[in-house]
Amino acid sequence: MIKEGKYTIERFAEEQGLARQSALNKLSRLKRQGYVSVDGGGRQKRIYTISKLPRRKTNGFYDTVNRYSPEKLQPKFDHYVHGRYTVEHAIIDGIKIGDVRTRDATKHLFRHVSSWKKLFDLAKKEGLLKEVLNLYSQAKRTVRVRWIPRRYLK
Amino acid sequence: MINLKDQEELFRLIADYLEEDITCICIGGTAMMFMGYKTTTKDIDLVFGSSQDRQVFIKALEKLGYTQRSMKTIYDRKRTEAKDKPLLFSRGEERFDLFVKNIFGFIVDCDLDKIEQKHDFVGKKELITYVLPKELIILLKILTDREKDFEDIMTIIDKEKNVDWDMIIDEAIRQRKNNSWMLLDLKEKLQKLRKTILIKEKHFKRIYSAEEKYH
Repeated sequence: MIKEGKYTIERFAEEQGLARQSALNKLSRLKRQGYVSVDGGGRQKRIYTISKLPRRKTNGFYDTVNRYSPEKLQPKFDHYVHGRYTVEHAIIDGIKIGDVRTRDATKHLFRHVSSWKKLFDLAKKEGLLKEVLNLYSQAKRTVRVRWIPRRYLK
Repeated sequence: MINLKDQEELFRLIADYLEEDITCICIGGTAMMFMGYKTTTKDIDLVFGSSQDRQVFIKALEKLGYTQRSMKTIYDRKRTEAKDKPLLFSRGEERFDLFVKNIFGFIVDCDLDKIEQKHDFVGKKELITYVLPKELIILLKILTDREKDFEDIMTIIDKEKNVDWDMIIDEAIRQRKNNSWMLLDLKEKLQKLRKTILIKEKHFKRIYSAEEKYH
């Protein structure tokens, strides 16, 4: 029986009554099945988190924001994307989530917009044009962001 | 039966056949698979915000060869006669149960603060699906009461120690006015569950006193 929680390899081996290598093999198998996530590695000691339910890695809004923004967010929900997800999508999602912390973190994404056309097409589709421009003007005051091409400001 | 990988690929395919972007909520076995409680499901239960959205989804299903089928062999009489019954579509062994906003009187809202997971399937159009927390999945399983629904409730309870029964009862009481048998079904299922797990007496008392107000 494996208990949920955080383990180092030594603690896990001790708890399971296994040799170190057998414990590593077991954790590796559980990781493949999605029951284990690993933190650390290299100079840092690896910490294995075991969960009762298989958990897949998220790849949505919170991952994009936490990659690019210095203001990190604790996910409110697990966001998975099956298909292409870009910074432009993340800005729209950030506005939709809408709380102050999320909006503040989202401001930093304007630095990484690669297609303003795509951003404004998405905003138009979601009816969020005003909100995007609003957030951009807030971002312009606090973060170094590029100028939006003038045609989108009309 | 459909497994998680097939389900995700099917959703991605449907996204390619949609005529516009739509959002829906996953309940039942679909939600359980996304949350890792089980690996396969017989039916894919989805709740749409409007009948227009459901129609867009149905059009895509029909393009993929799904046909409408009757509810009679799947739901009991009181459910087949309910006002807000689902539309069922199947192709081979897979079946879609498509609701609009309302699952036998239980109104589901699409609030981003209340969801557990969000899955975006990006094809030619976007199909966005929300997954509700486990407590609401349990309550909705009680409401739909199909073959294996009780088994699914047991699976969730078996894997999760911290089920918030107060939340389930609060939600059922809040929505009682839309469905006269909601609290009675909840009480019946809790009594059945009581044989295997501990459910405190105070929860039953809350259900009794809430139901009494309607008599």
